[in-house]
Amino acid sequence: MTSGDGASDADLLRAHVEGDKQAFGELVRRHRDRLWAVALRTIGDREEAADAVQDALLSAHRNAARFRGDSAVTTWLHRIVVNACLDRIRRRQAHPTVPLPDGSRSDDRPSGVEPAAPVQDHETALVVREALAALPADQRAAIVLVDVQGYPVAEAAEILGVAIGTIKSRCARGRAKMALALGDIAHPTEGNRGASTSVPSGPAAERRDQR
Amino acid sequence: MTGAAEFSGVDIDLLADYIGGALEGTPDESVVSTLIADDPRWRAAYETLGGRMAMVGAELGRLAPEPMPADLAARLDEAFSAPPRLELVHDTGSVPKRRQRRWVTPIAIAAGVVAFVGFGADYLAGRDNAADNTASSSAAGSAEQAAPTAAPPTLSSGTDYTKATLANAPSEPLSAAANPDETFSAEKNSDRAAAATAPELSRLLPFAALQECLDAIQRANAAGPIAVESVDYARFDGKPAVVVRFTAGNGVWAWASGPDCGSPAGDADTLARVPVR
Repeated sequence: MTSGDGASDADLLRAHVEGDKQAFGELVRRHRDRLWAVALRTIGDREEAADAVQDALLSAHRNAARFRGDSAVTTWLHRIVVNACLDRIRRRQAHPTVPLPDGSRSDDRPSGVEPAAPVQDHETALVVREALAALPADQRAAIVLVDVQGYPVAEAAEILGVAIGTIKSRCARGRAKMALALGDIAHPTEGNRGASTSVPSGPAAERRDQR
Repeated sequence: MTGAAEFSGVDIDLLADYIGGALEGTPDESVVSTLIADDPRWRAAYETLGGRMAMVGAELGRLAPEPMPADLAARLDEAFSAPPRLELVHDTGSVPKRRQRRWVTPIAIAAGVVAFVGFGADYLAGRDNAADNTASSSAAGSAEQAAPTAAPPTLSSGTDYTKATLANAPSEPLSAAANPDETFSAEKNSDRAAAATAPELSRLLPFAALQECLDAIQRANAAGPIAVESVDYARFDGKPAVVVRFTAGNGVWAWASGPDCGSPAGDADTLARVPVR
């Protein structure tokens, strides 16, 4: 088979389980950018994100036979990656690293070594990323999936293994925290009847439409 | 929530839940709705916070996409496009004894890096039954030339390591194949190690159990895939221990794990770890 363009994700995973040595690699190639983006925004550190993605994909490779098709393959992959990130964050909290002379890293807050955004958005993107990084890990993970990556709330709930209402609450409380932190940047215009939809209008929404 | 003096007297988390739709269909929805209608502080907070939250959502959606770095993508490509390859090198020169047979996977790291520990027992237990019985002498070659089984060299040295001696090389020949044409096998590996292994470590003699232990060590090391150079069923500070020497992204390590290594409750059961200089 199988690694052709026409194969679905489920086809590829099935082929992998049946011994096709190329199938899993093709599956990874299809989704690696989104998996990486979720990991990087969630964990906030490039090296740790790389390790988390690698560990997660190894685990998926090993345990593919356990996938029962209850969710989309991509949802399953995201779940494994996000869990790997959250595990690392928890380990970091449990075993804080010794602060370096030029900074500290003793909680779940990412170390903030993401790349620069395009020049025109640099300052805003920087403070937004910093505010995002300051959120509790569970709120950050929900916001990364829904607001940054544009996943529907229901799919984010499936990825994180919580109720839809929980995702809505985590996103809302996280946005509120960020709004307070970014008070000078986020200029409210007027009353907010209708703001409760909270649907991002940027690239995330476009990415959602493409999915 | 802190840092919200301008929203004094307002439960911002509850208000955020309301704005975000998390209270839909719950009794709290009407409670908050009433507060917004009747309490000027709640109404002002609602009008201000809702707009800011919507703006934050929009800014988050505008964060630039971040494609996977090329080096990581390449590593994953190589890792998942070929089966793992662990091969013995039979050097002919007068090199130190322990270097005469070694796993070359760390050298062919790009191809084999994830291979051994990461891929699990399915490949290692011989999924590729069609492979021939000859260990290649080169790291080059196609994926289809993978060794039929690939276990790390093991021994039961009986050594009682301490933290000071843990980095020392194993003190007896590894249980590798007896001649250059003999395929190294997990079965022989296990049999040879079993002869002199502490009973507490017998759980780790089957290759699948050892593999789980190595997986656990890899996770505990948290520096990416490990390439195992040797496994010594031995002791550490008098306690039964498997001593694993491996290369990972954070260097070369000697790692002592107890009998529960790889078990669900035991994780890596780490007793000690030291870098090998």
